[in-house]
Amino acid sequence: MTTAEITREEISAVYPKVAQIMADALGCDVEQVGLSVPLIEGLNAESIDFLDIVFNLERAFKLKIPRGKIVEDARGDLPETAFEEKGHLTDAGLKRLREYLSEVPADRFRSPMRVADIPKLFTPETFCKIVARGLRAGPGAPKPDA
Amino acid sequence: MPDRFSAFSFVDRITALEDGRRARGHFAIPAGLPAFSTCLVAEAVGQLAAWVAMAQADFQRRPVAALSGETRIVGEAAPGEILDLGVEIESCDADAVVYGGWARVADTPVLELRWCVGPMLPLVDFDAPEALRGDFETLCGPGKPPSRFPGITAPDLALIDRIPGQRLRAALNVPVSAPFFGDHFPRRPVFPATLLLDAQIRLAVRLAGETLPPGQRLRPARVADVKMRSFILPGQAVEIETVMRSATDGAAELTLAATVEGKRVATGRMEIVSRGSG
Repeated sequence: MTTAEITREEISAVYPKVAQIMADALGCDVEQVGLSVPLIEGLNAESIDFLDIVFNLERAFKLKIPRGKIVEDARGDLPETAFEEKGHLTDAGLKRLREYLSEVPADRFRSPMRVADIPKLFTPETFCKIVARGLRAGPGAPKPDA
Repeated sequence: MPDRFSAFSFVDRITALEDGRRARGHFAIPAGLPAFSTCLVAEAVGQLAAWVAMAQADFQRRPVAALSGETRIVGEAAPGEILDLGVEIESCDADAVVYGGWARVADTPVLELRWCVGPMLPLVDFDAPEALRGDFETLCGPGKPPSRFPGITAPDLALIDRIPGQRLRAALNVPVSAPFFGDHFPRRPVFPATLLLDAQIRLAVRLAGETLPPGQRLRPARVADVKMRSFILPGQAVEIETVMRSATDGAAELTLAATVEGKRVATGRMEIVSRGSG
């Protein structure tokens, strides 16, 4: 179940709460947090904002989101040495990342891509998918706090 | 570094420690001080959590102040009193520590911290790992000598903009040198977030005093959603601002912000009540 593609309905179910958490963290209006807006280049998110967002998603949805989870999940069963080399994604690594971040337009993936630049690809939808996966995996699929 | 372990260190002894999970400790507030601010009480709780996190990371990494979900201020601590401190670590890894904690005086609650998150950074950038390991062993053993804290002269605030009852903006000039930089931190001096918060609270209480009915003594009751976006360095010119969000008979809610060269470096919210309320 957890490996299946996350549906639009699952994303829509968590998006309002995710968007509100992002707006609070970034100090912007919730209307600015479009599903596909790049968080760094579109909403000026910094590393501290990602920490804030992840922490508040964990609290709101009663999930654990380990740091580095996006890259780890994207890598999947690919050995680390096959995923990246000297701080840059390999061709196989870039392919895995494209598949995992399927919500991100293809022209935003550059080759070569530095591992440190992966967060530039993240959008609110990226985090909606993480939350939706977590809710699928969690016992009883907990609902977000009101 | 003559001021090491005395100018901005608020844990005298760690009295109980469960590795990476929880700790208890205490700090004797020197009797000769004129006052001991609530922000320094919060600093003491944060420092106890930092010791637990640094030990958990084998003194390779240390946390820095970044996010504080909620601080409830329910009492005061006075010079000459003993602060009892406790922390519960929710999680601690190479990237961040998440914790809560409290401070009490003679079993009376003073302050409670909830949902604090500190990014873990390379310790070697801030201090000598082996020196800190030695300090930690001292704290877990006999404790450090008490009453060495000389107090802090709060930086002056110069008002630069004012809309009565609605907004205050002030300049805070961080000193180029000060004894507390000796502890915070020896290799990389950083203006403590709790001293910034102390200045912000002073400004917020002043604004609340313009709005709440006259003749009431005001006190900070709650600080929420504090986010430190970057370090404030010695000598930097900081602008702090507080804006009134709502005010009733006995309570005011305000937002807090700080900028350096136009860049937002800290944000938060707070609640101020008249004494006896909340």
